Amino acid sequence: MSLGTSVDPDLQRLDPRVRTVWVLKSALAAALLGGGMFAVNRVVDVLPWYTPLVLGGLIIVVGVTFAVLRYRAWGYEVRNDGIYLERGVLTQVRTVVPFVRIQHVDSSRSPVERLAGLATTVVYTAGSRGADVTVPGLTPVRADDLRERLKQLAIRSEGEDAV
Amino acid sequence: MNDDSGGVSDPDEATATREGSTEPNIEGDPGPPDAKGDVTDPGAVRSDDAPVDGGAAMPVDEESRALTPLSIPYRSVRRGASIAFTLLFFVVSGSSVIGGAVGQLVGLALIGLTIVALIAYEVSYWRRYEYALTADTFDIRSGVFRRRNREIPVDRIQNVDISRNLVQRLLGIAAVDLETAGGGATEAAVRYVTFEEAKRLQRSLAARKRSVGEGATTDSETTAAPAADILFDLTPRELALVGIFSFDVRAPGLLLFVGYGVVSAGRAGLPISLPGGEATLVLAAVALVLLVAFLSWAVGAVAAVLNYYDFRLTRVDEELQYERGLLRRYDGSIPLDKVQTLTVDDPLKRRFGYASLLVETAGYGAGSSDDRGSQAAVPIASRERVLALVDDLEDVAIGDLERPPKRVRRRYAARYLIAIAVLTGLGVAAERLLVGDPVWVGPLVLVPLVPVAAHLKWRHRGYALADDHVITRNGVLRRQTKLVPYYRVQTVIDSRTPFQRRWSLGTVTADTAGSLSLTGADAAAADVDDETAARLREILVDRLYESLDRRHRDRRIAPPGADGWSGGDEGDEGGRRTVRASDDRRGTDAAAED
Repeated sequence: MSLGTSVDPDLQRLDPRVRTVWVLKSALAAALLGGGMFAVNRVVDVLPWYTPLVLGGLIIVVGVTFAVLRYRAWGYEVRNDGIYLERGVLTQVRTVVPFVRIQHVDSSRSPVERLAGLATTVVYTAGSRGADVTVPGLTPVRADDLRERLKQLAIRSEGEDAV
Repeated sequence: MNDDSGGVSDPDEATATREGSTEPNIEGDPGPPDAKGDVTDPGAVRSDDAPVDGGAAMPVDEESRALTPLSIPYRSVRRGASIAFTLLFFVVSGSSVIGGAVGQLVGLALIGLTIVALIAYEVSYWRRYEYALTADTFDIRSGVFRRRNREIPVDRIQNVDISRNLVQRLLGIAAVDLETAGGGATEAAVRYVTFEEAKRLQRSLAARKRSVGEGATTDSETTAAPAADILFDLTPRELALVGIFSFDVRAPGLLLFVGYGVVSAGRAGLPISLPGGEATLVLAAVALVLLVAFLSWAVGAVAAVLNYYDFRLTRVDEELQYERGLLRRYDGSIPLDKVQTLTVDDPLKRRFGYASLLVETAGYGAGSSDDRGSQAAVPIASRERVLALVDDLEDVAIGDLERPPKRVRRRYAARYLIAIAVLTGLGVAAERLLVGDPVWVGPLVLVPLVPVAAHLKWRHRGYALADDHVITRNGVLRRQTKLVPYYRVQTVIDSRTPFQRRWSLGTVTADTAGSLSLTGADAAAADVDDETAARLREILVDRLYESLDRRHRDRRIAPPGADGWSGGDEGDEGGRRTVRASDDRRGTDAAAED
């Protein structure tokens, strides 16, 4: 079972700072969970006092590991027929979204992403798994460029056939 | 969501008809506090009796129409029945708090007020509700408190469904649902029009869709019912088979839950130990399991027979139309050019040479409780008949499928062995901690079956690339063969779990806009070789573009509709935003439409 296989070197990589975003997210989750547990523990007091700390620490360790591995596994490429994505630490997923299928394209920035100076581009299709097609960890300029480029490609392909 | 179950309204039947006769009174009643009552009477402009005229030869804008006046009493009674329960509780508790005659008087006043308010609401709902077929849209203006204008482009409509429960059939009214690909809920729930009007809408929408798609009016634009080609009807024998093969999977859980409640409620008075000791207990358990199985089957069988009674599938031009149902009657239409996926479902039935066919469009909402999307299909028929129908609809034959590499059998065997090992482990733990009996022996009995199961799983899995379709097959006990036209592929997903990577395998999923795929049953070529997966990924996208190109060319050269497939396709699953609503559909009135 090979974990953390590296992505095809020909593909576009994400910005390394995306790891920070992911780590921050897991830290946030750790803080929330640990804090909640701490509060509960104050009231009920059934678990040893250090449980929240251990739990939080565990979440962060797993979060950091996954952030590193996920960054290594992530790659994308704008091909001539569609956008190709490769990602996933445990389950590797490779997705092709043909340009004709693109319904609309967003770029967005969450608070954590703004902190790290990053942005995300989301590609929507009419398919039932639309949420799959998110490209995180782009600089704002790159995210906007990607959005613009995909939009153009989608429009051009639609000119050929509007299905 | 929009499913008004016949069971609820059936007891109201008598009331509904009685109310129906007093209906003109309600309309003229000055009682309802309708603030806008003095505005020009909309009823005068609108034709409510919905004539099935032979006119409208061209797709012109039609006048606005109203719902049938019968919808007022029907809706009032329906809503009243649901409110009654809540109200009854308050009245009972209220009168007991206040007590005596005063309490009862307050209660009665409350009831009266509610009834008046209810009727007033339904009357104004009826007055506000207007719909119109224009040349290329279906418009609805509705809403009592929150007004809403909605325009649905005709060529984006996926399905037009008419349903009538028993009461509605007696009253001659029907509910019409229009589905587009956007959003989860039904885009237009017309509650209620006369049945003739409902059929007329279904026909005109189909005709308009054609003319919009072709960009010109053709001779097919006639309101007279076009020639219907009966593709399929269910013989009584087949209906009986549908019942036999229907096992309500939800029933066992429910029955066990209820049974447990009864048992635990009744146990207070019962001695824990039964006479006869363990043997009786085991017997009782076996009997219980059998009973639950039988009841689940019976429930499923009855439901299936009620659902599929007098099932008929017809082809009208470029549309499939189905009719079915004993108590509640459904008349649905599925435009052939909106079909996303065909699924041939043949689990147990396969043994007996039967199969069923499911037709998926993008129209039915995700997670909606009713699975009409899957029921708009052939419930059961001999396998040859189903395959012939598939061939008829899509011009494709299910040939031999490419099976996964043989090594996957070892993987499946390993998987089953692990599952058995886990169960055995649990059994050992249970023996130590709880029962003291060697219960871990149970799972071990299954070990000899492992190779057989692994082989079967491998045997019933596969994929094929046909001329215009990708065909995939999965499942032994629930075997499904899916046919996806290449041009319906939305995204191609190739995924590999860590276990698959160990065996150099991958699963390639062709995602479509079909609604059933939301439950995870997408067409997937599972456990194919690593390299095959990579190749399939590319091929599917290539074929998608080729297929689109070809369809595009066909449309330009041949007159549309020349073959069975290329009728106006410009309006497609086309996205999530096909409905222009000037309002949030979760507003007051959307809720009121339930």
